[in-house]
Amino acid sequence: MRIKQVIWLAFTFMVLVCFAFIYLMPFLRSAVAAFMTWEQASKYPPEWIPDPFTLENFEKLFRLKFFPRWILNSAVYAGIIVAGNVIFTSMAGYAFARLRFPARDALFSALQALMMIPGFVTLVPNYIIIYKLGLVDNIIGLAILGIVNVSSIFLMRQYFLSLPEDIFEAARLDGCGPIKTFFYIALPLAKPAVGAVAVYQFLGAWNAFLGPLVFLRSPENFTLPVGLSFAFQRTMWVEYTPIIAGSLIASLPTIVLFVTLNKYLIRGIVVTGGKS
Amino acid sequence: MSNIFSNFFRKASRRETLEAVALISIAVAFNMTFGYFSAFFAVYLSFFEWDYIGPMKFVGLKNYELMVKDLLEGAMGASYLITPFFTGLKNILLYTAIVVPVQTFLAIVLAVLANQKIKGIQFFKVSYFLPATTCPVIVSLIFVWLFMKKGFINYALSFVTPGFQPDWLNDKNYVLMAMALVAIWGTSGHFFVSFLAALQAIPKEVYEAAMLDGAGPIRRFLYITIPLLRPMVTYAVVMGLIGALQMFDLAWVMAGSGGGPGGSGYTIAMDIYNEAFTKLRPGVAAAKSMFLFAIIFTTTYIYQKKYGGVIR
Repeated sequence: MRIKQVIWLAFTFMVLVCFAFIYLMPFLRSAVAAFMTWEQASKYPPEWIPDPFTLENFEKLFRLKFFPRWILNSAVYAGIIVAGNVIFTSMAGYAFARLRFPARDALFSALQALMMIPGFVTLVPNYIIIYKLGLVDNIIGLAILGIVNVSSIFLMRQYFLSLPEDIFEAARLDGCGPIKTFFYIALPLAKPAVGAVAVYQFLGAWNAFLGPLVFLRSPENFTLPVGLSFAFQRTMWVEYTPIIAGSLIASLPTIVLFVTLNKYLIRGIVVTGGKS
Repeated sequence: MSNIFSNFFRKASRRETLEAVALISIAVAFNMTFGYFSAFFAVYLSFFEWDYIGPMKFVGLKNYELMVKDLLEGAMGASYLITPFFTGLKNILLYTAIVVPVQTFLAIVLAVLANQKIKGIQFFKVSYFLPATTCPVIVSLIFVWLFMKKGFINYALSFVTPGFQPDWLNDKNYVLMAMALVAIWGTSGHFFVSFLAALQAIPKEVYEAAMLDGAGPIRRFLYITIPLLRPMVTYAVVMGLIGALQMFDLAWVMAGSGGGPGGSGYTIAMDIYNEAFTKLRPGVAAAKSMFLFAIIFTTTYIYQKKYGGVIR
């Protein structure tokens, strides 16, 4: 019995390690290949140690006229989205969770129902609205579409509901109005939820593709994913290594963010996913 | 006395309503505009012919007719070039039928394996989840390289299945398979983490009682683990369906905006994009997006009705 158990555990461990290898392999491969010449990176069977070690892929990438601009655009876009969501959804989430006003629950259900509508349904009308506003090919035009995300409102509301009622009762009895209570009591208590919304929205905005592809038209306004996918299609590189290097740069912020915050992020995903 | 109180409360509640409206106004206004207004506008648009500039022309059901004709001709075996919508539908259904069961099953198996006294569980969680936090387009760009004829994946396969060396992205029989593999790689880790949390929430006593009754590990898995995991399975399948049926990014990069060899990597989402932004027929695009909405809605509805329970 004992031996059987040990063998079973060893087997399980082996399987898990194998899968960890599979999940990490593309990252490992691109991390080494970014420093190889294309000649070496395309060798069969594959090689693992860059020889000669070279930075020319990164040099080629930054020789692309707009590559630094794309990084900047991605950062600006993600920044606006994060700021907008943190400000507006914490306010709305608090009001939906803690204040009493007519049609509150109906309004909230209406917002929640929006989560069922696929993005492709609203894509064309949204394009027309943004077009009429004269904001096509402008990061602002793209950003206002995602500035108050329903799932962020949901997460914020859920968090404010979990706070004990006594705090808010006490504030009310002391004559503190709803907005004042929000700024002085609710918001300082909501740091975990604000952090979660900020991180999820950052990941979403940094990784977004369809929106930027539709709403940004000229190369100097592209975000990183759109820019890289265009660089890949347009010029038909003889060498693929600069693209790999670019992918590495583009995914570095999300990787660093995730690895440093993994405990909180995974817990948050579990909470929002299954139980809430 | 009571009069004063009710007056006080009425004032307080009026103030509360006013301030609440101030707090929610922006969130509600934006979502009403870009959510509800746009959704209804999409319905309206699907009955019109338009090119974004000139006047809108009411055409009744013509856009839908176009779509149905495309589907019927495709079903009769017309070339993919004249029936893009049918091609996209066929591909996306096949792709979904591969991706959703495989990624859900894989996530459950890995979660069950990881739900034991094993060291380094956080390492496994992080490494399995990492693909899910990485941009799908970036992932696809990397996989284009890994899927090359003389690429890393064929090298790895040469140990497992010698002689099986497809030119993944240039062979029309394998493009969709390649995209499905990338999608499974990219999303299964997310569900793995969800399943693991659900498993850890199952009380140990249930298993101990079953063990006392003489139930072996396989029976315990089939009759305890699976039924108790059902709400999470429903969640994973529904989220998987919603994601897979709208797949766009992977196909855009791996098969190219034209849909790859023989249109074998073309999807409905790409067809909607092309109708709206390359053929400049927003009416047709809107009609097709209604169809996409209908498929997503019915599949998730049927699944929940049949196997689901409620998702909270």
